[in-house]
Amino acid sequence: MWAVPVAGCSGVQSALDPAGGDAWDLYWLTIVMTVGATLIFILVTALLLYAIFSPPERRAWLGTRRTIIYGGLAFPIVILSLLLPYGLIGMRDVDVPQSGALQIEAIGEQYWWRVRYPAEGEQADFSTANELVVPIGRPITVSVTAADVIHSFWIPNFGGKIDMIPGRINRFNFTAERPGVYRGVCAEFCGAQHARMAFDVVALEPAEFDAWRRMQAQPAQEPAIPLLARGRDLFRAGGCGSCHVVRGTEADGQFGPDLTHVGSRRTIGAGQFPNNIGTLAGWIANVQHIKPGAKMPSYGSLTGEDLRAMAGYLESLK
Amino acid sequence: MTGRRTGQVLLTLGGMIAWAVQFTIIYAATSTLCGRGWADATLLGIGVVQFTILSTTLVTLAAAAILLVVSLRAERQGRHQPVSATDSFLCQTSVLINGLSLIVILWHGIPGIILPACA
Repeated sequence: MWAVPVAGCSGVQSALDPAGGDAWDLYWLTIVMTVGATLIFILVTALLLYAIFSPPERRAWLGTRRTIIYGGLAFPIVILSLLLPYGLIGMRDVDVPQSGALQIEAIGEQYWWRVRYPAEGEQADFSTANELVVPIGRPITVSVTAADVIHSFWIPNFGGKIDMIPGRINRFNFTAERPGVYRGVCAEFCGAQHARMAFDVVALEPAEFDAWRRMQAQPAQEPAIPLLARGRDLFRAGGCGSCHVVRGTEADGQFGPDLTHVGSRRTIGAGQFPNNIGTLAGWIANVQHIKPGAKMPSYGSLTGEDLRAMAGYLESLK
Repeated sequence: MTGRRTGQVLLTLGGMIAWAVQFTIIYAATSTLCGRGWADATLLGIGVVQFTILSTTLVTLAAAAILLVVSLRAERQGRHQPVSATDSFLCQTSVLINGLSLIVILWHGIPGIILPACA
């Protein structure tokens, strides 16, 4: 029976499996509070049972003035007086901006994440979606806001939640300590598909991150085979470019996610499905069934062959 | 209500009044100063927000401490002379309330010292 709850204590989306400094502070705060509260609960329950079941002459000391003053007043005052500065110092030290931090911008939209990497030195700026790729060992500052309603940006393995509010920029600071794939979620109810608004966080070695960044700044590659070229033509003819941008082509829409390198992402639909030609085809044909309320219409009128071509083209955009 | 009884009630409520004064001043001052962009302004070498919180906390702490000492003296006197049940209750209640007010005022002042202003 224990295996079920314990399985949730580690993994890609767990505050109990910290992968960054601030998350460790929050983790220890949680442990101290939980263990302390449990011990006090056991003590109070034991005293309660003792007061109920022990003989009157033995339990008399529980009702004395001294017991009430020390146990009922002094004890909670001392405990709370220790916890208050401990919690406040933790709050002060968490989420402190670091100099030289990598700047990333994240914008919450119903029901996906627009992610921008501003230009840095010789590195050009670019946008991506539903995926935050970061180098390990370097401080990261994510400036968050929202385009429509209030969302909340939360990567449990790296720290606490931060609200994404239209017209306001909040900042979330963290440093990834170990490579891996983690998961972030929207932690503020934002509409019908709130529960399906997640994103991948990929922490890479610095050299791998630099290579990824260089690759992402490149325009989309030309289709290599006729089937993919047909997919590109269908993408163009279907008007997909009025909502999506594919850099290097005439598709320059800004309404939906940037698809320039959509094939390189781990998942589609804001963390809902693994990214492959099958799920891409299913998404295009039936998005309103999969994620009702998403801004993209279903393209169920495409023939199977056309769907394969378009999904293949998108999957080839590495 | 007689003058003596009024004094007893005021002594009983004094700590809470001091706490209310501190609460009102530090919240109002922090909101106003931060809202007007005075987060970095200093007074006597420390931030104006911290200065306001610190000075208000010290003044109200002193008031609560004086009230606690007075109520402790009254309670001690009541032990050595015959007093009514009401007087005894008010004396013990004022010790408790003024003591707790002292602690709560301290708890309210601590965040202003530890946390950055207007963060």
